[in-house]
Amino acid sequence: MQEILAFTALGFAVAFIIKKFFLKKKKKKGSKSCGTDDDCGCH
Amino acid sequence: MINENINVALIGNPNVGKTSVFNQLTGLNQQVGNYPGITVEKKIGFCKLPNNIKANILDLPGTYSLNASSIDENVVIELLLNKNDKLYPDVALVVTDVENLKRNLLLFTQIKDLEIPTILVINMADRMEQKGITLDIPYLEEHLKTKISLVSSRKGFGIAELKKQIITYKTISSEPCLNASVIDPEYFDSLRKAFPSQLLYKLWLVITQDVNFLNLERKEIQSSFTKSHSDLKRLQQKETIKRYQFINDVLKVGLKVDIAIAKDFRSKLDRVLTHKVWGYAIFFAILFIIFQSIFEWSKIPMDFIDSTFANLSSLASKNLPEGVFTSLLSEGIIPGIGGILIFIPQIAFLFLFISILEESGYMSRVVFLMDKIMRKFGLSGKSVVPLISGTACAIPAIMATRNIENWKERLITILVTPFTTCSARLPVYAIIIALVIPDNYVLGFLNLQGLTLMLLYLLGFGMAIFSAYVLNKIMKIKGKTFFVVEMPNYKLPMFKNVAINVIEKTKAFVFGAGKIILAISIILWFLASYGPGKNFNNADTIQRSKVENKGIEESEMSNKIASFKLENSYIGIMGKTIEPVISPLGYDWKIGIAIISSFAAREVFVGTLATIYSVGGSDNEDTIKNKMGAEINPITGKKVFNFASGISLLLFYAFALQCASTLAITKKETNSWKWPVGQLIFMSGFAYVVALIAFQLLK
Repeated sequence: MQEILAFTALGFAVAFIIKKFFLKKKKKKGSKSCGTDDDCGCH
Repeated sequence: MINENINVALIGNPNVGKTSVFNQLTGLNQQVGNYPGITVEKKIGFCKLPNNIKANILDLPGTYSLNASSIDENVVIELLLNKNDKLYPDVALVVTDVENLKRNLLLFTQIKDLEIPTILVINMADRMEQKGITLDIPYLEEHLKTKISLVSSRKGFGIAELKKQIITYKTISSEPCLNASVIDPEYFDSLRKAFPSQLLYKLWLVITQDVNFLNLERKEIQSSFTKSHSDLKRLQQKETIKRYQFINDVLKVGLKVDIAIAKDFRSKLDRVLTHKVWGYAIFFAILFIIFQSIFEWSKIPMDFIDSTFANLSSLASKNLPEGVFTSLLSEGIIPGIGGILIFIPQIAFLFLFISILEESGYMSRVVFLMDKIMRKFGLSGKSVVPLISGTACAIPAIMATRNIENWKERLITILVTPFTTCSARLPVYAIIIALVIPDNYVLGFLNLQGLTLMLLYLLGFGMAIFSAYVLNKIMKIKGKTFFVVEMPNYKLPMFKNVAINVIEKTKAFVFGAGKIILAISIILWFLASYGPGKNFNNADTIQRSKVENKGIEESEMSNKIASFKLENSYIGIMGKTIEPVISPLGYDWKIGIAIISSFAAREVFVGTLATIYSVGGSDNEDTIKNKMGAEINPITGKKVFNFASGISLLLFYAFALQCASTLAITKKETNSWKWPVGQLIFMSGFAYVVALIAFQLLK
């Protein structure tokens, strides 16, 4: 059980890093910047 | 009941409180800054108006006129010229500052010429009495052919009345308030005859601007009506003079200022704060206080967070069932998260000070002061804004270069901005300074740690302008941009704005960086907990069978086994591979891994070391700082984080481009890989050489 949990966490972590740094972001259609999104994407 | 949806555009000069009006109307919050260039893109909020009318409120970038010379000004003109744009305004709110009405009205008269129903919003009306200002509203409304709304976005008054006025937009005159065609009647007459269905002032803007407006139409106009560049410039100047003559005539009757009442405290203060000697002395004193406070005030909460996470880690390992996931939790996830949360107090204090400086109006004086220095180094005064914004993050700072008209000046600013010390460097600086700089006082009040932090910020800024100077010499900039900086009134910072800014920035830091750090901590834990080959799998037997380990205590033996396993784990092998490159800088393989992983984001450096040291040691109760401080280099027998290696690391992080997102934004803004790759090679190469020299001299 512990191994399943640990390796699931690893899978999520790897997927997140790949998505963040290696896949191009798709712009959502009709998305509007409201001025509150302060995440510059650099962190 | 039918719901009506309308578009409302907020237009105005920089620093008239446009964003504050936007916040009041929409309830949304965003950064309210006092220096130009902070709003570089259009922003939309939503507002419920009386009579079931819903409004899309569009906050457009600040612009002084409709004569566009930069990207953010183009945003305004392109929207106002294009009736087919889905955001084309049904009504325009031209926001002005009651104390700078004359200059602010230039833009208003231009918007009126576009025949858009326009409301004149006179902001900061709460200061009228104090400044001895009286306005003849009926007279102004009649001559400016508009409705006027007196508001104070800071105090929130007048907003309800403004909402009521917006819904009457259909009754507001869209007639121009002056006839601009008198600047060249013959030319405008021929233009009118050639394009009878077109709005005359729109045609004029299309002819004079290089904006992306219906290209075919522009070509058609230009083929028969284009004048020489100098003729167009001359006519634009005539137009501006004509508009100011009109504004002067109207304000002569409509605006009265009683100088006896208006005590000019602001001018007196400005003379001191922008003085060529005192101005800089005060600025450096303020910087000094900020950096001293960041260290002093953060100590207690930081120690608390550090020990809490160490205890949490220990609690997890002792109380949860033994297994892989428990180890991942206690050695990977908890120390990794702790490695980022520990810096919340310092980040919060940094942004608290920056927000107060912005809100009070002092930041604009700093921009003015720095402009004098920038010009000596061949940069535009407008470069100051990105360089100062860079103390938060290089990404929005690089985007803020969009208001620099001259391409080469803009490019140089983009290339040097990452030298400015961003908030992501703060955790790295803070932990290294705490480890290698003594917590002593010089002259009884100068804290060495705070002083070092301040010097690092100045070093980053100094390196940015020195690099700009070199690039300027190489690139031979021709033509200069002029720089207009608004000096807003001094005011007491609004608690709400400061609090929101601090919370948003801290949240962005924790949740933005936190996600990456958590993911990297998990991956690193696996790489540090598993390894190939016999050495890793038989670590226990190998260590116990060594002659020199015979008779040592069990706790020491456990440490030796953990350390041996770490060295032979996947991460250990990777680290050992790169060690020859970094050992001349005084770093061991663990620091090497932290440097590589922190290319995702600089803050990852601390989280990485926290994870590596947690896996490599047996004491989960110890804090990150203590673990790093106790680390011994097995080859030299000295502490890994000593004065020489610490200074070397600080200098490396001061100059290296350790940020993947900065590369991406530079590529986006320059539309080429040439510049970000050059930036990466130069900054990282320079950082390596400086760190190498520093370590070799100090070791």
